[in-house]
Order: sequence, then C-alpha cells, then structure tokens
Amino acid sequence: MSPEAARLGLHPGQKATDAMALVPELITAEADPQADAAALTALADWCVRFSPAVAADTPDGLFLDVTGVDHLWRGEAEMLADFRDRLSVNGLPFRCAVADTPGAAWALAHFGKEGAIAPPGEQAALLAPLPPAALRLETETWAQVERLGIRQVGQLMSIPRGPFARRFGRAALTCLDQALGREAEALTFRRPPNPWFARLAFAEPISAPEDMARVMADVTAKLCARLETEGQGARRFEIAFHRVDGRALPLAIGLSLPGRDPARIAKLFAPRLETVDPGFGIEVVTMMAYAVEPISGRQVRLDRGREATVEEGLAPLVDRLTNRLGEDRVWRAAPVESHVPELSVGRVRPLAKPQETKPWNRETPRPTRLFRRPEPVDGVIALTPDDPPTQFRWRGQLHRVRRAEGPERIGEEWWKGGIEEVQVGHVRDYYRVEDAEGGRFWLFRAGLYDAKDAPKWWLHGIFG
Amino acid sequence: MSDFRALRAKIAAIEASGRATSESLPFGDEAIDGCLPGGGLPLGRWHEIVGSGLEVETAAAPAAFTALLAAPLARRGEVVWVLRRDDLCAPGLLGLGFPPERLIQVCARDEAEALSVMEDALSTTGVAAVVGEVEACDLTAGRRLQLACEKQGATGFLIRRRPYGGQARRETTGSAAATRWAVASAPSEPPAGEFGLGAPRFRAALERCRGGRTGAWLFEATDAYSWEMTDVAHPLRLVADLGDRQLAPAQPLRLAG
Repeated sequence: MSPEAARLGLHPGQKATDAMALVPELITAEADPQADAAALTALADWCVRFSPAVAADTPDGLFLDVTGVDHLWRGEAEMLADFRDRLSVNGLPFRCAVADTPGAAWALAHFGKEGAIAPPGEQAALLAPLPPAALRLETETWAQVERLGIRQVGQLMSIPRGPFARRFGRAALTCLDQALGREAEALTFRRPPNPWFARLAFAEPISAPEDMARVMADVTAKLCARLETEGQGARRFEIAFHRVDGRALPLAIGLSLPGRDPARIAKLFAPRLETVDPGFGIEVVTMMAYAVEPISGRQVRLDRGREATVEEGLAPLVDRLTNRLGEDRVWRAAPVESHVPELSVGRVRPLAKPQETKPWNRETPRPTRLFRRPEPVDGVIALTPDDPPTQFRWRGQLHRVRRAEGPERIGEEWWKGGIEEVQVGHVRDYYRVEDAEGGRFWLFRAGLYDAKDAPKWWLHGIFG
Repeated sequence: MSDFRALRAKIAAIEASGRATSESLPFGDEAIDGCLPGGGLPLGRWHEIVGSGLEVETAAAPAAFTALLAAPLARRGEVVWVLRRDDLCAPGLLGLGFPPERLIQVCARDEAEALSVMEDALSTTGVAAVVGEVEACDLTAGRRLQLACEKQGATGFLIRRRPYGGQARRETTGSAAATRWAVASAPSEPPAGEFGLGAPRFRAALERCRGGRTGAWLFEATDAYSWEMTDVAHPLRLVADLGDRQLAPAQPLRLAG
C-alpha cells in the first residue's frame, strides 16, 4: 500500500468497485500470487548482501538474521540505515525493524514505529503498546482477544500463563513466547545458514576485468584462510558479484576432493569470470563454501618420491575437467548388478571411493564399442529357430559370417516394471560373430522364435 | 657400424632435448622390438592409431588394440580416455585385460576440446597414458601433445576417428607422432576341434616409426575373455610376421596365360 493510495482513502481488502467509486481513474490489475512470490524471492536473494540468512515471510515479508553481521556496518543502526537507503533508491515501499526475535521484529515492522531498533532484551517494553494483531495470532484467537476488550499486547502479557493458554489456546501462547524470546522460532531460510562465508565491499564500484579477478582472488584467500585455521576443506564454492543495480551474479565450482588452496580455487573460477557482466559496477563480492569437512593439513614432501599423491596430480585435473566440461562428461565406469548389457555400466565420479559391487564377468565377452541404441541389420540369413546368422548387411555392407558363438539369451528385468508389461517375448538372443575379414560383431535377435514373423536382427556392438 | 650407432645415439640425445632417454615398453618378441627404437614401444611419446573402411567411424579394432597396448601402462597409473562419442564399453575392455578401474573417461564436445583435454591430462602427474579419439591432428597440435608427453613422461595414443556421417577431411601431411599404426581385425584361429571364435587377432602395420623401421604383424590377445589374468609383460602376442607383404595391394597378382 503506497502512501499516495492511502491518501486517496484506499485500503487493502477494499472491494474493487468501492475503490473505483472513490478514485474513478484507478487502474486495477489481477492479483498474481506467483509473480508476487517470484518478486519476493528475488528480493530475498538481493538481501543476501546484508546477511546470508534470509527467510521469506509470504506474502510480503522478509526475515533477515543479522546476528554477527551488523559489525560490518559498525552497528545495527548504520546497517538499517543502509538497508533503508537501498530499498528507497529502488522505489520499494517498506517497513522494517530490528529486534531480538523474528516475532518481535515482525510486530514492530507491521505495527510499531518504522525503522525501530529494539535494544537487546528490551523488546517487551516496545511491544506492550502494540495491538494484539502484532503477535501474528490466528484469526479466531484474534477475534476473541478483541471481543474481550484487550487492545494492547501489554495487557496480554500480564495475564497468567495458565489461564492464557486455556482461554486463547496453546498456539497463541507460543506466538507470545516467540515474540518475547521465551521460545525459539524456526525460520525457513532461503539458503540454509552457512558459517563459511566471506564478503568484500568496495568504496567504489569496480568493473575492470583485472579488478574482478583480483577481488575474486582476495575473497577466495579470505575464506580459505578461515578454512585453514579451522582445519577444514570444502567441496563446493560459490561466489556472487553484487552489482550496483541490485542484481547478484553467481558462479559456482566443485572440487572432487575437499580443498582450500586459494590459488587452485581461483584458477577454477577464472575461466568463468568473463561471463559475469559487471554492468555499472560491482560493489560487493560474497563467497560461500559448501560441503565443508575436516581435511588434514598437507605435509611438504621432502623425499620427492616418484609416486604422486592424488591431491597433487589427479584431483586438480579432474576438477579442471569437470568444471570446464560439466560433471556428466567426466566419469569412471563402475559395475552395476544387471545382466542387461546397457544397464550393467554405471558412471561414478572419478575420485569417488570404489563401491562394493560385484565386478563384471571377464569370461562373458562384451564388445569394445557398445551402441547406445542397437542398430538394425537387414539381409540376415539364419537357420531357424536359433542358429547364428550366416550373413547380414549393416550400413550397406554385406558381412559373411565365418565363425559364430551363441546364443546368449538375455531377458528383460521383469522385476523392475509393472506386472502387466512383462512378456515372455522380451528376450534377446545374442551372438558373437566374426566375418570373413575378421571383424567381430555382437548381434542379437529380438523376441522368441515365431513361425509367422521373420525375426528382427540388431547390431548392438563391435568387438574390433 | 658402431660409428653409425653412436651417431644415432647422439641424434636421439638431441631430440630428447636434454632429458634422459625415455623408457620403452617391449612387446617381448625380437621381430617387432627390433623395429622399434629402444627395443619397444617408446613411452613419453604419442602414437597414432588408424583404422580403415567402416572402422574409420566405429574405431572398434583401433580401440581394442590401444587398450591392449595401454594395459601394462594402466598398472603404473591412471589412464584417461578422451571421447567424442561415449560408446566405449568398460566390460569389453575388462574382457581384453584392461583394468577399467584405472580408466577415467572424458567426453569432449568438439575436436579442439578433445585435443586440449588430452594435452591437459598428459601433463598431469599420476596419469600414465592418455587415449584420445580425434579426427585429425595437425602438426602444431601434435607438437603440443609431444611437449605435454615430455612433462611427466606420460604416453599418448591418438585414435583417428571420424564422427558418424562426417565428411572425410583432407589428410594432413606430416605428424609429430612417434609411431603410426594401421590396425584392423583379423580372422581368429580357435584351437583345432573347438567351436566358436578364437582369441581376438589384429593385423597391425607399423606405417611410420621415428628412429625405427616399419613392418606389419599379426597379433593375438591370447588371454582375452578368460580369467587367466595376465601377469605377462604384454597382453599382445605376436603370431606372425606379415613383413611388407600386407602393405602391398591386397589384390593378388594375376598372371596371364
């Protein structure tokens, strides 16, 4: 509700026709809760520049946990002033307050003096003159409170707890307790609060590529120094460039083993840095570390042995490749317990610990190249019902089979699908054949022998 | 003769640009090791492997042959296989005797990326061999690969493979590769009285060899698809020396009369 609208006598909850009668030139728009939610989310993301812990209070509120971050602005008052300045510049109507508890802050922001800061432990005095609605009570409870002639939170606070709970319900008491800090309130933060956070703010917005590279290295070094002092390493780092116009541009990299080497991490970010458009300038850079776990410090090797450790050779390579190509493009093949050829190979991350699965059988020949989709072959001459083909044509080339072995019958995994879909005919009879030139192929005949239909043959792989 | 050998050693030292003469991986048969410089497949260099016919696109025989060549190296460190098309089947490599648990597969988006990933992997400690499936490699890229090989002594294998349905590119002249092999499957010979296929055989022609002689041989992967794990020096066994005959036109000479 903007002050201009309030001056014209409009208020939320008013009927559209009434409002039109009051202000004939009023432009109305359909409510769009999804767009509102999206806008609130965007605002929550923007607020991360003030505190990493931001929780959305639908439909129109935000909670910021500023515990331990206000000193960056030299106090809550300066922080709130900066916050208000930036919101006003963006033309957003707002009311805000700072208090010990989310409940008290909500009450002060909605009903108290705009921009109020409750001194620690003294929110009760500030809450007392507010109307009972400030306690975020349920509608029925609130109506009952009104009916009893209670006009101020202070009056509610003076009621003994026992009778209060009996009359207004346990939920109302919880609301009061949460406002006064006697009970904890769980907020759903947009991002889970993360203690591994570093932030750099600049007096002047920066935009030159070399400046951005330098501040990225600086913020990385800052966070990594903290990780190092606490003996931790992280697998995932996220950096966000906060632009003057309020947009935050994130970049993320992952490591295959937890690490904290600032040079290495900055190097992984470096190729992506050019995708960040600084616009009119970047004023704040934040960095977070995720999946933090303890790692032992590295000892400098004195013997210069030939055997290289994973940390110095392979892990940086895997990180470079995964961050450049994408996580799904670098893998190690791992056995999966399935007899269906295309399902028997799983992909694991290259440096993951080996799983305890049954290895593949060396004695059942599998091709060197396995096609993702079997390719149809035609011109097959084979004795029915289950002799290997004597010739087949693939990609326009005729292959005369000189030697063959099979069939190896492979059925579907009937226990995985629905019972209706299971059919006896869902089998493949695989043959390993060798043509006159020595080419070795893996062919299969789909389905069981059927006197009426000619069987369909497919090529599934090549042995070479 | 000894003068000649001394001169050769001198040239090798210059070529090696100061580093110690690199190792080599012998096949264990004098017929072939004698052709290769240093008595075996030179390590710390890169080798080119080409197929022919349909194999230019599927590259199955070159891949199997490369896996067999690289299997002894996989015991020393990791092997990185750079693909453009992810159709390499790990159980198949295991069957040939290559340990898939030492294999990291990387799927590159294009040719230039495949080559740069190869280069990156070759210069990493802990990587014993890098296999790349690339359509062409010009002299500059080849030289870069060679420099990357020299950093840590890793061995490169470059399988020439054209993407499916792609147009044939103009053959680039010259190459920085240490050796160039033309590989094709050859009909297997199972022991008498046995059904089915024998151990896989490959006809491999050494078409180029720096500091060595060319030749052509018939190889057999004797221990493929069996549990008799290979503790032998090399999984490839020389079956026959095809000499230069196989390099001559396949058409037999017809005499009139």
